Amino acid sequence: MITYLEAIREAQAKALADDPRVYIYGQDVGAFGGAFKATKNLAQEFPGRVLDAPISEDAMVGSAIGAAIEGMRPIIEIQYADFSTPGFNQIVNHAASLFWRTEVKCPITIRLPSGGTAGSGPFHSQSMEGVYAQYPGLVILTPATVEDAYSMLLEAVAIDDPVLFCEHKYLYYHLKAEGLPTEALPVGKARIARQGRDATVVTYSAMVHEALAAAEELATEGYEVEVVDLRSIKPLDTDTVLASVARTGRLLAVGEAWPWGGVTAEIVARVASEGFELLDVPPRRLNAKNTPVPFHPNLWGTHRPTAQTVARAMRELLQL
Amino acid sequence: MPDTALRVSAHASAREPFTQAYRWMLLARLLEEKLASLYRGGKINGGVFVSKGQEALSASLGMSLKKGDIFAPLIRDQAGRLAFGENILDAVRTYLGSRLGPMRGRDGNVHRGRPTEGHYAMISHLGAMISAVCGGLMARRFQGITGTVGATCIGDGATSTGSFHEALNLAAIEKLPLVLIIANNQFAYSTPNTREFACENLVDRAIGYGVEGQTVNATELDACLDVVGSAVARARDSHGPQLVVANLLRLAGHGEHDDAGYIPNALKESAIGRDCLKVAECVLLEREWASAADLECWREATVEQVEDAVATVQREPAPDPNTENWCALSTAHLDDTFIH
Amino acid sequence: MPQIPIIMPQLGESIAEATIVNIAVQVGDAVDADQDVIEVETNKAVMSVTTPCPGRVGCILVESGQSYSVGAVLGYLEATEEDVVRYGLDVPAPAATLAQADGDGEVAIATPPGATKPAAVQPTVRGLPVPAHAAGASYMSPRMKARMSELGLHAADLAGIAGSGAAGRVTIEDFEKFLSQLENLTLTPASPMRVAVADAMRRSATRPIATAGIPLILDAVLAHRKQANPKPGPALYALRALGIALAENSAPAGRLVGDRIAHPPAIDIGFAVEVEDGVLVPVLRSVDSTPLADLVPRYNDLVEQARQRRLSPAASGGSVATVTNFGTFGLTWATPIPLPEQTLVLGLGAGRVVPQWNAEKSVFEPATEAQLTLSFDHRVLDGGAAGRLLGRIAELLADPGQL
Repeated sequence: MITYLEAIREAQAKALADDPRVYIYGQDVGAFGGAFKATKNLAQEFPGRVLDAPISEDAMVGSAIGAAIEGMRPIIEIQYADFSTPGFNQIVNHAASLFWRTEVKCPITIRLPSGGTAGSGPFHSQSMEGVYAQYPGLVILTPATVEDAYSMLLEAVAIDDPVLFCEHKYLYYHLKAEGLPTEALPVGKARIARQGRDATVVTYSAMVHEALAAAEELATEGYEVEVVDLRSIKPLDTDTVLASVARTGRLLAVGEAWPWGGVTAEIVARVASEGFELLDVPPRRLNAKNTPVPFHPNLWGTHRPTAQTVARAMRELLQL
Repeated sequence: MPDTALRVSAHASAREPFTQAYRWMLLARLLEEKLASLYRGGKINGGVFVSKGQEALSASLGMSLKKGDIFAPLIRDQAGRLAFGENILDAVRTYLGSRLGPMRGRDGNVHRGRPTEGHYAMISHLGAMISAVCGGLMARRFQGITGTVGATCIGDGATSTGSFHEALNLAAIEKLPLVLIIANNQFAYSTPNTREFACENLVDRAIGYGVEGQTVNATELDACLDVVGSAVARARDSHGPQLVVANLLRLAGHGEHDDAGYIPNALKESAIGRDCLKVAECVLLEREWASAADLECWREATVEQVEDAVATVQREPAPDPNTENWCALSTAHLDDTFIH
Repeated sequence: MPQIPIIMPQLGESIAEATIVNIAVQVGDAVDADQDVIEVETNKAVMSVTTPCPGRVGCILVESGQSYSVGAVLGYLEATEEDVVRYGLDVPAPAATLAQADGDGEVAIATPPGATKPAAVQPTVRGLPVPAHAAGASYMSPRMKARMSELGLHAADLAGIAGSGAAGRVTIEDFEKFLSQLENLTLTPASPMRVAVADAMRRSATRPIATAGIPLILDAVLAHRKQANPKPGPALYALRALGIALAENSAPAGRLVGDRIAHPPAIDIGFAVEVEDGVLVPVLRSVDSTPLADLVPRYNDLVEQARQRRLSPAASGGSVATVTNFGTFGLTWATPIPLPEQTLVLGLGAGRVVPQWNAEKSVFEPATEAQLTLSFDHRVLDGGAAGRLLGRIAELLADPGQL
């Protein structure tokens, strides 16, 4: 068995082994192996290529851009997605615009440990993909499975554009698989995680598992719900989403991020404008509550969608 | 009247570099005067930012660097860019918005460069380019390439940014061959030094970062060539990051849209207010490295060079929105074409 | 004695479980509060689990070398009632609020206690109730509309479908089921004529249609007709009379659009001609200014053209009212539906001989009577106006020489 976190580690090991241009830079990634052990032993296996960075997200990302200009393929580990904001400027104004302004590619990968776990609180729990998705020039990946954590990270390093790899902290040790995949869907294709016929739930990352659990519950009530795992936010595989809604006529977009705008709003906007006539009921969204992420598990437990709230939202949709 | 009298300088340059630097300074000055004029003639969109007063410092840096080095110029580095090898057409094309320029109309004025040729293209957020240069130097190290220097120039205002701090700190930890020139021209737009930092002298920060630091009187080309040249040499010789704090006065507005009425006359008339170009001309004449006729001849030739470049570019096409691919990713198949 | 559980703590973010490396106590040992009793290892560090209060080790439920989830009970202490209160352990711990891993690859998150039941779904928009017509049975989703448009169907076609959606809404599933069941019935094609008439009637029926009628004594008309050459059809008498009446007051034939009535530009009146599988309505122009005798040849031509389906658009559009003689089918009365663009249709039923009371002679005398009905858009005129129009027509038909 291999965990989601170990898959990330394995992908980084393979990237380092296969390409001398790859290096890893982040707080505590060296001898310590990373705050979540995502780079465990890599500093020893690849001396001089897995380096501890000072607490300077701006400089980490800025230096990655310079290194990329000169031909390297850096992987930057930001310790928590929440801490990417000090480096926000370098990501959205420098990395994302470099190719468009200068025709020089920027093949950097920034790993953002995202999402909440009970007790992590407002600044160790955020899902930032919607914020970054606003900016052109970025590729944003949100793996929900151990297999995708592995194969999409490898592809991220291979992509010549800046990639934000939004790995989910809750899935690190809670999600396990038999082994690493030998093949994978390419970045840009969504996956039908569960086939259905009565309604479509479109989601990504940890929420895929909540949606699957909710769909199991609905199955006992006679409804077959289709779950679409987006896998990547940018690009967003609208074709797969539309095809699913064509089959079911009902759409629920679920996300762990806050309700204003964001990924779920983007999904609904696309379906409403390009697939209006596929809808038998108004499209719905389910997001986190409109407050910072709470600390106490009681509050956290209801702050973002759970299998129960997803099931409830599905039922409402099915009974319209 | 500014005191342009020659004083015996502690720095003595050789004739060739001094003369060459002066030619770059002259070209930068005349080019920028032309750009300012075009701006006031409605031919330039956005802003024009000139480096009047900073040419000696900038030319010295550009000349000290070698091909293969990395240079991230900022707003007032026209002389340095030219000295480091920028084609004058790149500058004119970017300002006039020609489709044939390096930025192809996607960015303008000083936001230009050719990154893979060592000329990094700045983003507007001050301080951000320093870490990019650091990264470029780290890459060289990973690649086993030695002897590279990375240089960038920033203003007194930018030293207040977090990105300046993080980048210099990172350069020091990584012991990178970075040359960071702080052009303290006394004002960040309209903000004087007293509202920008509280330490006595910016060079005092070098100790805090664990790097070597020097100051230079940037009104004197001799001093600039000496101090900047030695900083570059020390960086190249693995002495770690070099901080050079240059003192001068900005002799123009923040941009051509600004009349700099907030700069007190006393400052303009003090020693720091001297025009480095005029000072250099006096030195050339005094040392008989050039005659008045030479100066006039160089000036005429340079004016012609500038006029030619401008005339050429004015005939060139502007970007066409209908032929743009409007794609910000290099990996075309990952561009989400669903959104328009 | 109260049994106090020793719980596996959350030893770091995203940690799900830990492995027991050492159990430092045995059953029966006395322990203090905050004493390290069990050592566990995660992939980050080795840490000790502490006791929540003093007491005696009651039982150990775990084995060294095995992994257990965060929140799992590792063992129990026996504590005194006193200690339980002193250490605040007498309040029941909340039900498991920490995430637990359920087997491999699955993620189950316990519902926190106190989560409230959701409010029932109300059809409201910002607290205001949605008007009944905007929700429920008549609501058609975009998908329904698209599908119906694809099949050329209208809401009238859905009248027979039971809706299983909220408030009786016909869902797309109901619709598709209806269509597939349709295939099991005998289906014959409807002619284009049929479909055209259906469409006209559907559009017309969006208005409130009312019918009023009077008995018409036809003897004068029948007598006039006997002598006439060429002979006008009975409908033509009614048509000419309607034309004269409308020329006197055109309001009843006006069209209501919003808050205005558009008056007919000319008294052009159509008449219904039955053709195979439907009805055509040729038009006679300026009926008010054309004597009956002159209308006859035109009428006959139009009937012939209609029957041969050679009616030109110029001959069949733009009428302001219609006359229909359903008496030819044996109908005595009917409530025809006006054309969608018209307000009136005048209907003539079959004539029958009936006893009519002669007040002077105090006897019943035979007379030929037919029902004259006016079906009209009740938005434009009411019973009174209908009655007056019918009365004027009857008056004119009592003296056919005026026509």
